[in-house]
Amino acid sequence: MFSRIGYIVRETAANLTRNLTLTIASLLTVVVSLSFVGFVFLIQDAVGNQLGTWKDGVEVSIFMNPDASQDQIDGVKRELASSSLVKQPARYVDRDEALVEIKKLFPSTPEMVELLRDGKGVPTSFRIKPTSTESAVISSFSSQFNKMAGVSLVRSADQAIAFIRKISSFAKWGLGVGALSLLAAAVLLIWNTIRTAMFARRREIEVMKLVGATNWFIRWPFIIEGMVQGLFGAAIACGLVWTGNNLWRSKVIGSFSSSLSFDSLQASPSQFRLVMLLLLAIGAVAGSVASAIASSRFLDV
Amino acid sequence: MIKLDNVTKVYNNEVLALRDASFEVAKGEFVFLVGTSGSGKSTLLRLINREESADRGEVWVAGGNINKLSSRDVPKLRRKMGNVFQDYKLLLNKTVFENVAFALEVIGSPKHVIRQQVPAILELVGLAGKQERFPNQLSGGEQQRVSIARAFVNRPLILLADEPTGNLDPATGEGIMRLLDRINKTGTTVVMATHDRNIVNMMRRRVIELDRGIIIRDQARGVYE
Repeated sequence: MFSRIGYIVRETAANLTRNLTLTIASLLTVVVSLSFVGFVFLIQDAVGNQLGTWKDGVEVSIFMNPDASQDQIDGVKRELASSSLVKQPARYVDRDEALVEIKKLFPSTPEMVELLRDGKGVPTSFRIKPTSTESAVISSFSSQFNKMAGVSLVRSADQAIAFIRKISSFAKWGLGVGALSLLAAAVLLIWNTIRTAMFARRREIEVMKLVGATNWFIRWPFIIEGMVQGLFGAAIACGLVWTGNNLWRSKVIGSFSSSLSFDSLQASPSQFRLVMLLLLAIGAVAGSVASAIASSRFLDV
Repeated sequence: MIKLDNVTKVYNNEVLALRDASFEVAKGEFVFLVGTSGSGKSTLLRLINREESADRGEVWVAGGNINKLSSRDVPKLRRKMGNVFQDYKLLLNKTVFENVAFALEVIGSPKHVIRQQVPAILELVGLAGKQERFPNQLSGGEQQRVSIARAFVNRPLILLADEPTGNLDPATGEGIMRLLDRINKTGTTVVMATHDRNIVNMMRRRVIELDRGIIIRDQARGVYE
């Protein structure tokens, strides 16, 4: 058994170095395609997370006129309290709270905040979590409250959500199609590498068959070779995806003030680990399947 | 040990390589297959080691019908026989020792068996002391001895030799012939295709003669003609 493992290791190493250019070509294709696949997964996770927080967070804000009377405010409050579309209770943001929020949103323009110091011009608002995120429901809800006295503006995040969804599906499809075609190219290249390796060793294979080596014995080094190529390419792709993910977190997400609430537009550490594992698995499976098929195809008894 | 029953082999639906060949080889027998190039000698050997399958008729080896063998069981059949070729088919990047050890390695023999068997068989074929040479550092006769060692190292029941002396001068060929004779005397059945007239006449063994795919003579203690 041990001599057999030793044999497989030796043969695999010899095969990998014999066709160095072809090995590198298929390796690079694996790297690029699996990086794409990785980014597709990460984008999906990030968008999912972001949409998730938005769904749980403020979806609809009802801004009151700055000069709305207490009666009008109470009227809206009552209406909200009886609405089945609202997760109770709706939160009321008074002037002081609104001012704090504005300060947070515009940290670089203190002069503007200064203008609002007396608080007279700052609108108060209700923050509502709707029970449904259907955009038809939200828009009818919006128009219902828009008509009430003292309400200046109803804003919902559903447009922003639709926008993010559109961008992410665009990126997913574009990258996904690219990733799949590159993955196909990688499989074909591994296939070809194995075929070339088998051709280079046809004399040995002939002798092996004549002295009664089993087909699996002959095949194993080639299958392992394909798997090593897939796995190694996946490992490099993991490195690239890891770097990309870190840059995204530090240079893009980290550069915005957290009050813009794009904080969740990133994969969580556990999602990220899962993506890495998936890439390694895809690499290993694609490599070994390609070489298994190639080696059976060119190994007729 | 080997039995052919009305075996016909046609290549590509047009080249008739063997027609209605029937004969039987007993255990421990030595048989020469003679005939001109293209008479079907090699096809016959390739049918016995299952490199080819018969189109009609049955081939029996060591009690089993090999037409019915699934491809997973072909390796088991091959381990019962050794093959020797005119062009030796040695691996040029391996030493003499490694070439012979390779045959044991790929059928999964443990290391201690390899370390014990390979020097013994090299001694038997007269190559003791040349273990670390590479094939192209050897003469043709010595290379053929390596290939015989490789074919015989796992003590097969049958040895198939296709023109083993074809590339050798008469004296060297005689040496190889004596070696095959010695192997035959250990009880191994030997089937040897050849058109080496002197050797056949010298040995006076059973001769099966083929002409354009048909067996035209099967004679005990025969000569070449």
